[in-house]
Amino acid sequence: MIMRAGQNQPAAAREEQQKSEIPFNFTSQIVHLHKDHSLFEVGDVNRHLYLQDLYVCETDAPNPAVSVSQFACHISGCSAVFIALEEYEHHYNSLHRHVCCSCRRSLPSARLLDIHIQEWHDSLFTILAQRQDMYQCLVEGCGEKFRTSQHRKDHLVKIHKYPPDFRFDKPKKDKRAKETTRLQQKDTEMEVTEEVCDSEGVCEVLCDVLCHHPESGESMEMHVSEKEANGMTNHASGTEQSSEPPRPEYFNRVPRTVCFGHGSVRGFRGRRGRRK
Amino acid sequence: MENSDRSQMWRLTRLRHKNGKQIASCSEEMRVKRRENEKALRQARRDRQLVSKRLLLNEDEDISMETIPADQDVVSLLHKLQHSGPERETHLKALSKALRDSSAQLTFVNQENSMHLLVSFLTGSNTQCRLHAIRCLHELSHSPHPSVAPTCLPATSYLLTYLSGQSTKFTELCLYTLGNLIPDSDVVKEKLLAQGIIPALASCIENQRHHLAVVEAASFTLSQLLQAKDAAETIMSKVLVSTLPSQLLSVLTPDPQFGLAPAIECAWCLHYMACSQNGKELLACGALSKCSSLLWSLGCAVREGNQDEGLELLVCPLLRCVGNLLSFCPANSLTDQVGDVKLVVALSAFVQAYIHSRPALARESAWVLNNLTAHSTDFCSALLTHNLVPALIQSLAFSEGINTMILRVLANIANKKKEFCVELVQQGLLSSLCATLKMADAEMVTLSLEVLFMLVSSSPQVTEEFVRLNGVSLLEAIQYNSEGEMRRRAAYLLEHHLVFTSSSCTTKT
Repeated sequence: MIMRAGQNQPAAAREEQQKSEIPFNFTSQIVHLHKDHSLFEVGDVNRHLYLQDLYVCETDAPNPAVSVSQFACHISGCSAVFIALEEYEHHYNSLHRHVCCSCRRSLPSARLLDIHIQEWHDSLFTILAQRQDMYQCLVEGCGEKFRTSQHRKDHLVKIHKYPPDFRFDKPKKDKRAKETTRLQQKDTEMEVTEEVCDSEGVCEVLCDVLCHHPESGESMEMHVSEKEANGMTNHASGTEQSSEPPRPEYFNRVPRTVCFGHGSVRGFRGRRGRRK
Repeated sequence: MENSDRSQMWRLTRLRHKNGKQIASCSEEMRVKRRENEKALRQARRDRQLVSKRLLLNEDEDISMETIPADQDVVSLLHKLQHSGPERETHLKALSKALRDSSAQLTFVNQENSMHLLVSFLTGSNTQCRLHAIRCLHELSHSPHPSVAPTCLPATSYLLTYLSGQSTKFTELCLYTLGNLIPDSDVVKEKLLAQGIIPALASCIENQRHHLAVVEAASFTLSQLLQAKDAAETIMSKVLVSTLPSQLLSVLTPDPQFGLAPAIECAWCLHYMACSQNGKELLACGALSKCSSLLWSLGCAVREGNQDEGLELLVCPLLRCVGNLLSFCPANSLTDQVGDVKLVVALSAFVQAYIHSRPALARESAWVLNNLTAHSTDFCSALLTHNLVPALIQSLAFSEGINTMILRVLANIANKKKEFCVELVQQGLLSSLCATLKMADAEMVTLSLEVLFMLVSSSPQVTEEFVRLNGVSLLEAIQYNSEGEMRRRAAYLLEHHLVFTSSSCTTKT
């Protein structure tokens, strides 16, 4: 294939290029194809079918021959693939929006995630809960607080008519170490898969994949470890930041919606970061 | 052109000399057989071993085979031919039938002096014998055994001589025989080149241009030469400096009576030439202009819903000619060479028409669109003014390389001017990008990010629109993709282009 590169680039880009490295490099190109190029394969075959008197003009395929492009979840480690955009959206919204970075549980809403993190991973909460009613009612607007999760559960069942086995109110089985190491922790895996969230099978997959993390240089884990060493809390992959300029609001939010388990400001792991 | 002429124009007359295989049969058996054949051809193509031969049937004969064992027949016939007098015609005719069988072919070539004998009939004074002799040679040339072709060498110089004869049927047989012999051995090919096959073909087409069956045969033979594996640049250069290119171009417009077949052969020859690095020689004889204008006519036919069978057999090589010739054409003479900018209408029609039934052809059409729009503001503008962009955007849903090519075309448009970016957004490109950014194909996503960059760079309104479409969270998700190329682009967009819109962000806290 022989390309002829063009000189076109958006004017804005040309200016910026002088200022900083921009990663965009599209150029319009004319493509010359040699006769054996793969793009010509089907047409060549048809040509020879015709020469050999085997060509059929009407296609005999009952279904449309062309396939529709698939969609795939962007989150590294999630290998979910979809035919329809709606399926993708549903997947993403269900599994990747409200994920706890510490234990990788997926919660159905931001509020439940907040509550989960507070109750499961906030040591301050644990301390305060010894003296005051800290367990909030899960129903938004209710405002009631309780001394133990059992009390809350009773309240939910009695007053709000929740099922007694409501999935998003499972109490923590045991206290976990603050500096939880993520890698290859069988206990963690088991624990998580027991306490499964709504999208059961996929949540397991999510956790499983993240546990067997690839060792490549670009992996979140390694990258973030460096940052942790520098006492940083932002995580933006691929970008090096030596200082902490105030980031726009949604940028801090990014790690809250998507979880890799490391370097996210969403949730606590010992002293690594404090939620605002 | 009269309407009736136009509707006749695209007829594909099945070569009357197709051998008896049933083409239009819908039986399951035939379908299975066709699929197997197709599979074999695909593999051959991948191995760069794709060759074909053609067999010209004698339309006066009935096709049924005789029941006498062919081998015996050949030997005894040869014996008879060596000795008999007036019955030679009968024996030769019988021999030509016997030689349809491939093992009989092998038997024949293994008999001493068999070819010598055949050549003597080929060049003798009895014209009926000549006709039967060429028939025999033709059957031999169609042999699946590669060892047969070299044995026909003694005949080739005569075959070439006869190309300038006046007997059209005879000439046709000679041509297909030569065409069949070419791919079987380099020795044959070299000899034919030395004997002057190229000028012979050129004269033949010129002198017989009113006999379209002969033109078709000659173009087929030329295509066999040009398609040859590693068709040496020397063959290509010889052909390009001969009168062949302009001859072929003059035959390119299909004849309403005869149909598409000769034009198809010519177009394939031109395609092979355009693929070569010396293809730019074709520009001088107006190839780009001629092929473009024919494509335009075909596009109109397709757009009108023309159901004539076989149109795509001509569309395919023409598309390739135009596509490759564009790479030789300097940008400033593009409109001159191509003619009308509305060629883009035809190309878009092909994309739409073939996207379901023949996606590879749709993809080739999109490739040509890319080459047209890469360096030309005029052609980009034409896509916009003829309102072709919405349909192209719809095509972004399809895979098999179609959507990446189409997105390149749209990127070409966006790359030219900010005003074009704005128009593209008005036609709905932004919301489509929100979908393509989620696709599994990494190239699609990266290209989508590039296009997005161009669009948001063009105006703040576009940026706002993108934010309104929830594009920000989309880019955030991409930051978690395992591909660095994607992450960097998404991060850049978030940091440099979307940062000022955070106040209008409606994200939850």
